[in-house]
Amino acid sequence: MSDRHVGQVAERVHTIVADIFSSLDRILASVVACYRASGSFASADLAAVRPEIFACLSRTHEVVAGAGVIVAPGVLADRRRWLEWWQVPPEQDPIFLDVDLDPESLDFYDYTAAEWFAVPERTRRRHIVGPYVDYGGTDTYMLTFTAPAEVDGRFLGVVGADVRAARFEALLLGVLAASPTQITLVNAEGRVVAANSPRLPAGSLLLDPGSDRLPLPEVPWSIVTSARDRAISPL
Amino acid sequence: MLDHVSQLPKAAVFAPLDDGSGRVEVVVRRLAEAIALGLIADGDQLPAELELANALNVSTVTLRAALAALRERGLVETRRGRGGGTFVLAPADPSTARLRRRLRELSTSELREIGDYRSAIAGTAARLAALRASADNVTRLRQFVARLDAAASVGERRRADGRFHIEVAAAAQSVRLTRAEIDIQAEVGELLWLPYGEAVDPQEVVRSHSQVIDAIEARDPDRARSLTEEHIDKGIERLMEFHWRLVASE
Repeated sequence: MSDRHVGQVAERVHTIVADIFSSLDRILASVVACYRASGSFASADLAAVRPEIFACLSRTHEVVAGAGVIVAPGVLADRRRWLEWWQVPPEQDPIFLDVDLDPESLDFYDYTAAEWFAVPERTRRRHIVGPYVDYGGTDTYMLTFTAPAEVDGRFLGVVGADVRAARFEALLLGVLAASPTQITLVNAEGRVVAANSPRLPAGSLLLDPGSDRLPLPEVPWSIVTSARDRAISPL
Repeated sequence: MLDHVSQLPKAAVFAPLDDGSGRVEVVVRRLAEAIALGLIADGDQLPAELELANALNVSTVTLRAALAALRERGLVETRRGRGGGTFVLAPADPSTARLRRRLRELSTSELREIGDYRSAIAGTAARLAALRASADNVTRLRQFVARLDAAASVGERRRADGRFHIEVAAAAQSVRLTRAEIDIQAEVGELLWLPYGEAVDPQEVVRSHSQVIDAIEARDPDRARSLTEEHIDKGIERLMEFHWRLVASE
């Protein structure tokens, strides 16, 4: 096992994640400013946050597939629930994500129960969900990064960014391929975010993570190492 | 010379082979596959016989037999005299570079999903075929496997294998499963049958398909399904290995 390779993977993960969250911090600052500036905070006021959302999408071009603000129920004066969420299809302008927010409707998008909303609401800390099948909005295998927005202790909702699992993995391919031994990045439930063994595609569940588990700071992920080679058998 | 080979792929391509039978065949496959994946480029010179035999942990007799088979397949040529040796002749198939790129760019979750979906469709088709196939259906299935067995080119193999899977779904009497199987074959057939880099050894495919037909004929739906799923898992795992070797070769 090589600590050097593990260190390189950890560092690369840290850089990618820090980059995404620093983009989210700018959106967050814009939401807070917008909230403070509005007398009665309404959905139309969130138009002021759009430049930061678009900037996040273009700055992290080809990494972030969607970004925006999800407002906690009761915060806006005119809407009980609201998503100011924009997606960028490859080589196109951002598209507003239109979801059904009518609780009476069959397709009601009850985001308050979603992990990417509920966890930052409860812990008031950043969170990463996934990889998971996002069938509500994009039909994509996705990672969702969220951070809580609060002002004077009042929870306003979350700011967030979607990153395609395939795209995230592609950013790690180089450091993963450089390691002769098996390195697996797993989330809190032991699901593979990225690994370098053909037996462990992203999305697999690592049932027996063993003892060589390095928790990463500030993210709900760990790196699991194994003395096994990568199982890229000659035949 | 050989800077391609001397980098990372060398570890995988020239790693010692396990003991076992059919070593000539194993050496042939591994080298053919490395050529198909572009890990050894057109015009590259292979290491000297003794060196290569040592690296692969086979005897020089085995290695010579393997090189003779590769020459017969037109994948290497041996030049005599000064500056001589064994050189790679990569197949001049323009689609190979595209397929390599595609296999390299697919993410592991995308490859896994291809397998998951194929398993769901082909596994269910095999199960239902065991419950519904007529004697005629079984005869047709055996014909496609015979065609696969007799196929002389990778294109013929791919078509015969694709038709086999489509016929299983048709024998299941399901238009929807058949439609899905046709789509799957169009999408991944070319990856599974990379020229000289088949995801599963053609002889093994013939054996495995024959066993599935036996299970269908014996009206054993569970066995038909599990054999089909195993076969598909094996193919996808090999594509993942190819994917990682291509990543490592950059």
